[in-house]
Formats: sequence, structure tokens, C-alpha cells
Amino acid sequence: MTISNLQVFDIKRFSTHDGRGIRTTVFLKGCPLRCKWCQNPEGLFPNRQVLYMENKCIHCLSCVHACQNQGVLFQDGKILLDRKASEDWETIVDACPTTALQFDSVSYSISELMHEIKKDESFFRYGGGVTISGGEPFLQPEGLLSLLTACKEEGIHTAIETSLYVNRKWLEKALPYLDQIYADCKIYDASMHQECTGVDNVIILENLRYLLTCAKKDQVIVRTPLIPGMTATKENIEQIASFLSSIYSQVHYEILNYNPLAKSKYAYLDMEYCFKKNPKLYSDDQMKLFYQIAGDAGIYNLIVES
Amino acid sequence: MNNRIETLKNKMLSQPRYVSIEQALIITRTYKEHEADSIPMKRAYSLYNALHELEIGIEPEELIVGNRTKGVRYGVVFPESGISWVNDELETISTRAQDRFLVRPKDIETFRNVILPYWKGKSLEDVLRLRAGNEIDAISKVVKINQKDHAQGHICPNVKEWLEKGPSILKNEALSHLESCLPEQKDFYRSVVLVMDGVKDFMMRYHDLLIHESLLNPNHASDMKKVAEICKNLSQRPAQTFHEAVQSLWFLFVVLHMESNASSFSPGRLDQTLYPYYKKDIEELRINDREALEIIECLWLKFNQIVYLRNQNSAKYFAGFPIGFNIAVGGIDEKGNDFCNELSHLFLQAQEDLGLPQPNLSVRLHEHTNDELLKHAVRVVSKGSGMPQFFNDKAIVHEMEKMGISSKDAKDYAIVGCVELTTQGNNLGWSDAAMFNMNKVLELTLNHGRCLITNAQLGPDLGSLTTYKTFQELEQAFQRMMLFFIDKMIPCCEEVEKAHIDILPTAFLSGVIDDCMEKGMDVTQGGAHYNLSGIQMIQVANLADSLAAIKMMVYDQKRIRAKDLEEALKDNFQGQEVMRQMLLNRVPKYGNDVEWVDQLGAKWAQFFRDTLRSYTNYRGGPYHTGMYTVSAHVPMGHNVGASADGRLSQTPLADGGLSAVYGRDLKGPTAVLKSVSRLNDDCTTNGGLLNMKFLPEFFKTEIGIQKFCSFLRTFVDLEIPHIQFNVVRREDLLAAQKHPEQYSSLTVRVAGYTAYFTELAGDLQNEIIARTSYDNI
Repeated sequence: MTISNLQVFDIKRFSTHDGRGIRTTVFLKGCPLRCKWCQNPEGLFPNRQVLYMENKCIHCLSCVHACQNQGVLFQDGKILLDRKASEDWETIVDACPTTALQFDSVSYSISELMHEIKKDESFFRYGGGVTISGGEPFLQPEGLLSLLTACKEEGIHTAIETSLYVNRKWLEKALPYLDQIYADCKIYDASMHQECTGVDNVIILENLRYLLTCAKKDQVIVRTPLIPGMTATKENIEQIASFLSSIYSQVHYEILNYNPLAKSKYAYLDMEYCFKKNPKLYSDDQMKLFYQIAGDAGIYNLIVES
Repeated sequence: MNNRIETLKNKMLSQPRYVSIEQALIITRTYKEHEADSIPMKRAYSLYNALHELEIGIEPEELIVGNRTKGVRYGVVFPESGISWVNDELETISTRAQDRFLVRPKDIETFRNVILPYWKGKSLEDVLRLRAGNEIDAISKVVKINQKDHAQGHICPNVKEWLEKGPSILKNEALSHLESCLPEQKDFYRSVVLVMDGVKDFMMRYHDLLIHESLLNPNHASDMKKVAEICKNLSQRPAQTFHEAVQSLWFLFVVLHMESNASSFSPGRLDQTLYPYYKKDIEELRINDREALEIIECLWLKFNQIVYLRNQNSAKYFAGFPIGFNIAVGGIDEKGNDFCNELSHLFLQAQEDLGLPQPNLSVRLHEHTNDELLKHAVRVVSKGSGMPQFFNDKAIVHEMEKMGISSKDAKDYAIVGCVELTTQGNNLGWSDAAMFNMNKVLELTLNHGRCLITNAQLGPDLGSLTTYKTFQELEQAFQRMMLFFIDKMIPCCEEVEKAHIDILPTAFLSGVIDDCMEKGMDVTQGGAHYNLSGIQMIQVANLADSLAAIKMMVYDQKRIRAKDLEEALKDNFQGQEVMRQMLLNRVPKYGNDVEWVDQLGAKWAQFFRDTLRSYTNYRGGPYHTGMYTVSAHVPMGHNVGASADGRLSQTPLADGGLSAVYGRDLKGPTAVLKSVSRLNDDCTTNGGLLNMKFLPEFFKTEIGIQKFCSFLRTFVDLEIPHIQFNVVRREDLLAAQKHPEQYSSLTVRVAGYTAYFTELAGDLQNEIIARTSYDNI
């Protein structure tokens, strides 16, 4: 991969809830965190992987015939993948007539990516733009910077969704090209954070402090996804809210309801999801309780999920 | 919705629908009594007698009265146009799959003894069959010639002039023409005089009935007397108040339907036409908005009381009794500025309150549409009735001008039927002359001119997929096959027009269409100022997908051999599921913003349109084209064998007309708009139809509504002629579970996250189904 290329696992047009207006969200692959609940597990690893969607498969065995070293096997009526096998995966994926087998990501040059983004330029005119998401977009920092620069050259509104587990240098470099920053603050307690996400949260909290004291602090929205038993506790929301409001009293803070849709994606990658029994969405009343906790801890600008 | 409206709505919906032969009996008797007269006079006497004799009824709560049968939503049998199907289907019409009507056994007997024998050989249908039946049948698998057994509708009368003149002045105008006209024009003017007289008397009959019934309904007596007074006034002079204008308007449409029994006479831009009456009443404190809304809602209910009796086949093509009282709201005015007023909003509110299938409400958008109207319209869309639909002045007005329509008339366009475009009050648009199945043409091109379903030789043998050495060669053959069928189609269209002139002249309609009175010429003869003929191309989405698949898989990448594909199509992909899946999934499809695929569709749409424009119709006007099907994609698909886009034999084609094939638009709604925008607007001057589905959640918040508005703003910028939105229902999601392949583009949203519905696990799907209902909005 050359430096200016970006590994992208999805480009979602008409994305209407990652910022203002009608947007195109670009999902960059690779993430340093390993959140147990990750809603985009295909975005975790930086390299290209093969996805297998069983419900699209017609069991024609074209893939089995295309492989050389038993990378795909048909056993007991099921297709089994050995992703580590030495195979020409391009050929195997290409042989699948239904796209049940597909690569989870594509490598784009900046100009290719801009071409995709500009397809919806006529929609951005009414307040939309581009959102860079992931994975962790800052894991491909040079490409990210080039992309943001290119967007601003075209006058396209930019937003980013980041874990903030990022080297400050890159954050500072990117900031001038960002119109909106969605920054996660998942868990305040350091050891709990380490346990649930696999990384320490010092860098994250320090970056939050930096963002909430910089000139663009009003363009920052801090978000906590509610994960039952992990982030969705009274203590955690309380601690995060107090921490944020102590830095900047007018901080914009959003609490996101649990996303039960992620579970399906784990099966495509033969990965285990953190919940055996998928929890339900929090009810409106339960959500109000969380809002209340945040409010009591000093948050004025609470963004209620739309 | 107040008590009165709710009562009327419930009464209307609880009444059974019957087939009515009452008017057929009057017409048959009149024809017998006037054997020596010309057909125009016979038709005029028939209408005159019907206006006097048809049983009429009112409801005490009604503020707007009038119908063409005493019962509401009756299916009226109309012998002059064609009744052989009625005879064939009388026993099954009460149990058929689509659009049922009850039939009284006594009526079946009378129909067969009195009506049927008289019309044998005389009806439009019979005359046409005799004159051109063979020619029409010979191309029927490719071209469906329409208007063969019913009178021509899809017309927007001059409502403004009707309100300003009414039957009395129009009668006097015809009388004065009569004094100085040529001998051959005499019957035309005499027939206008006769029917206008009949209309005046018809209005008075409602006055008399209301006065009579008011004695029996003391609770409603004062309102009933007021309405009676209005009817009396209107029979003598033009409308003066808003209430009178609305009542006058409704009488106009009742009588148009009585005369022609045709599908869709449309009121057009009522927020413009009715505004002077409304404004005057408001200023003079005769009415307030609450009262105006009540009158509007009474009219809206009326629009649901006239339905159209179609034969079983036609009911499949046009399911759900559509008769298309189409009302256009907003748009530009004659100077090109934004037009919108209080009535525009009251109309939207009436739709919001009632949620009924009629009127067919359309909002005209343009670059300067005010936010308030756009938002109001979107809020009504979110209620899930599929209305209003949106039209784009930016895509439509200049194309109409290019067809020779004056700038003033083009800016003032309205919609008739479902999505057909027309000028107001001066146009016989003949918008559904025929439907041309381009996919059947491709099938014949690929298979030696033979039908894949029956193996019949339907067109010339130009070769087959295996004999065309290049994609260009294939395209050349396709072009020749198109020309072959266009050339066969045009004379058939002309025969239909001639038969209408001979059998179905329409004096009353001619009285409310500009130029007919001056020319002394019936509207069927070409009396109208504009005389268009519209032909629909079916369906560009499948055509683009099939051509793209052949080009890429057979000629460019050579992954599939021509011989194998040709055989697979013959065998309906039996034993070739891998190839079919390749064609479905490994070739880009129309609707995903892939330029070369979209261009394949656009190119042939343009060819079809340009070819047709070189012909002139029988009334001397141009042919033009539309891209819409209503529900015809199902029966039209039934005529087409397996196709190279992976579609199985006889399964439906893409719906809509501009839309992508079900489930093949995987890049979201913005990509669909981009694809559609590659079709030139001059291909849809007769109307285009783009369907889109959204989940109800989308509209839950003000932010969602705002985003939807900006989506529509870009729709205007991209110059797409039409769009309508269906809000996804529970039933759709249940269907998606059953047929995931047809719904692979359906996205759902949970707590701000979006996913493809068919890719979700079963339990999650069920959870989403459980909470998808309008009550949530």
C-alpha cells in the first residue's frame, strides 16, 4: 500500500446520521482498540479480509473449485474458510456468482476516493458533506490528511468519527481541515477501559481535554455508546459527564443507544460477539434516565439522539 | 377531520360497490329512439336523458353534492365504448382478484337481453376490431394499444372558464355560433346546446331533492337549504362564492364522467383556479379557513366516489380503481416566480386529515419553492399514503416548450391520471396511446424474432445472440427490430383515433376545452388547441441491465459464451443458476450511479423518443413519450421470457418507469437519483415515474424532515421529472423475509444505525417488523 492510498471498508452514500445534511461516510479500515462490542468488526484489522455471507450463498461450490490449498472447504453442507491458507483469494472471490464471498475492503487512491465522494456533491450543497469514520481513521494518518485536504479544496464539509486514541501530532494537523469532530469517550475508569477496549484511556482523555480547550471546541461532539454492563452504568456516565463539563461547561455531549444490529456482522467473519443473547435497545424511559444522569453531572448541551 | 367529514367518510367506505347498468339502459333506449340522427346527436341526447333520468341521491351532511349514480363508487357500464368484456366477466367480477364489484342478478339478465344485442357491431370495441383487429393483435406481445374499449380521459378541462361561465353562458355561446356556422358544424353546436341544457336541469334536480329531503332531516335542514340554493344559482349563473365554485367544479367532473366514463379528468392547479373565490370570501368575511377546509374535505370525499369499472386484465394493469382526479399544488407562476397560497396548504391538510386514495395530489417543485410548502408536503408524505407526489418544473417546463407548447401554457402545466403531464384546459393529450415493451423487442432480437415463451415468429429474423459478432452488431439489429414494431404501431394508433371520432364524440367535454367551440369541432376530431399522443416505453431499467450484462459478460470479458447464454434464456436458466447469479450480481445495474450502464438505458430511451417524434398523430399533433407503468410492469413482464439481466421468464419488470429493478439499487437513494438524471428529460414529456421507499423512522424527527427536504432540493437540481415516496410498511418487511432477493436494497435503521434488512439475522428482522408501523410516527 502506498502512502497516499487508503484501505476503505465501506463508502456509504445518503448517510443521514453522521453529521448535518446528506453525507457520504467513508469507513477507514483498522483500529487500535478492541472494544468488545465493536459495531464494525470488519474495520478492526488493517488488512483486507475475506467475508462470507452465508445467506447469500447458493452452495454452487465455485469457490471450492477455484481454490488450490484447501482455503475453502465444503463440509456437512457448509462452506468453511481457512483465511490463513495460502490461496489466490482474488480468484476465489471472483468465482463466487452471488457475492456471498467478498473482500471486506478496497484500497483507494485519494483521487479515486474523491471521485466517489464527489458523486453526491449535488446533495452536499444543501448542508451535507463527508464523514470519515472507521475503524480509527487516524490509523492511516497520511492518507487521512490528504483526503481531508482534498475535501477542503473542493469546499466539502468534513466530519470525523474518532476514538481519540491518536497521536496528538496527527490530531493537530488534521484539525484545520475538520468542520465537525465526533469524539468517543467510552469508559472513564482506566482499568475498566483497558479491560473492555484493550487500551489505556489516558491518551484519549488528554486528547479530549485538548479538543475541548481548542478554538474548535464548539465543533466537537463527545459521544458515549451505551453497552449494557460496560459503558451503560450510572457511574460511568456520571464520571464522563463531570469530566467533560469540568473542562468545558458548554461541551456538546451525546449518549447513543445500544446498537443490536452489529451482531449479524460477526458471523460473516467467523468472530464471536460479546453478547450470547443480544440485548434490546434501551427504551425511551431508560434513555431519559441516562440523560438525567448526564444533566445532573453538569452537561448543558445534551444532544438527544434523532 | 370534524364530525361531518368523519360521518361522510364512514358512510362512503361502508357502502358496497355495485355494477350499474342504469345509464347503459338510458343510452340504449335513446339510441333506438334517435336511429335517424347522427352519432354526435345520439350521444348528446343520451347524456341529456341521463342528466334527467338517472336516480340521484344526497347525504344530509354533504356540503358538496352530486354523483353519476345514486350509490357511491358504482362501476358504470358504458355500452358505446365496449361491453363484450362485461358480458364475459359479469359472473366473475364479484370474485375476481383485483377491484371487485357486486352485480345484481336481475341486472345480468337485463344486460344480456336488452343492452348487449343492440350494441353488437356498434361499439367502439367492435368497430375497431373489425377495422384493425388483426393488425393490433399481431403486435400485441410487444405493443399494447390502449383506448380500444373506452372513451378518452386524462384530460384537464378549462376549470377556470367553466367557473366563470357555467352551463348557461356556454349554452348561449353555442347558440350564437349555431346561427352563423357551416352546415357540417350544426350538429356539433346543437349537441353542445343540448347537453348544457341538460346540465342546468341536473343541477336543479339536486336543488329539488335537497329541499325535499331537508323536510325529513330537520337537524341538517339549514345546511341542506343552503346547498340547494347553491345548486339553483349554478343552474342559472356562474359561481360567485368559494362554496359555489367548489360545487360548480364538482358538477363539471360528474358530468364529464357521465358523458365519457373515461379514466381521469383532472382539476389541475386548483390552488390557482379557486383562489379568487376563496380570497374574496375571506376578505368579505363570508368564510374562514376552518369552513373552507370543511368544503375542501367534502370535495376530497367526492373525488373518491367515482370509480372506474375496468375489465379483469385492465384491473391488473391499473389496480386499485385509479381514476386520477389529479390536483397540482404550488409550482411557478406565469412569470416564473414561486406560486403558493393558503389553498395550497389547505389542500395538503385535507390530504393529511383524510388519507384517502383520491384526489391524486401532486406538488410541483422548482428551485425557488418556499421551505414552508416543501416541509408541509414532506410531513404529509410521512403519513404514508404515498401522497403527495412531486413534479419538477425545472425538468418539465422547458421540455414542453421545446415541443411547441407556448411558454405560458408550459409554465401552467398540470398532471392528469397518475403522472401524465398536460397543459390546462386546451389539450387532448391522449397520454396512454400505447405501451411499447422494449424488453420484448430485445428478446426477439436475441432469438431470431421468435417468442421465447411460445416460440411464435413475432418479428423478422435478424439473427440471434450467437450470430451477432460484436455488441455493435447486436445493437444494430435491436434498432431495426424497434423500428419494425414502431412502424406497425403507428397505424394502429391512428385506427383507434379514427374510431373515437366516429363512435365517441363528446360535446360536453368539447365545451370546456379551448378552441373546440371556435372551430366548431369536437375534441376527438382535433378541436383542442394542443393534440398530443403519448406512448410509454417499458422498461428502461431492465433493458439497461440486460444490455449491460450481455456487453460485459459475453462481448467484453467473455466470461459467458453467447451460445450458452442463448440456450440458458431459452431454458429459463434451468440448470444454469450459477450463470444467472453471475448475471445478477457480477454486472453493475441501472440505479447505482454507474454511468456506462445508465447510458445504455438512456441511449435507447432517446432513440425511441426521437423516432416517435418524426411521426404525426391523426389529429395533426406530435407523438411523445413517457416512462411510467402504474402496475403494468407485472402483466408486461408476463409477456417477456427469461432475460439477460438474470430475470426469470414471465416475472415482473422494474416498477415505476424510471425506477431501478426491485432490489438492484444497492447504493442508496442518491445514487438512484444520479442514475435517473442520466435519462434525458425530453423522453418523459408525457410523464415519468420514480418510486422510492423509506422507513417511517426517517420522518420521526425535524432533522429527518429537513434532510428529506434537501434530498428533494437536489431532485430539482438534477432535473428529474417525478418522484413519489412509499413509506415502508410492515407488509413490505414481511415480504422481504420471504423474497430477500427482491429486497436486497432495503435498509433499516435502528437507533441511528443503518443496515440492509435482508442481511440481518431473523430475530432482529422480527424485532424491526414488530416496531414498523405508522403509529410510531
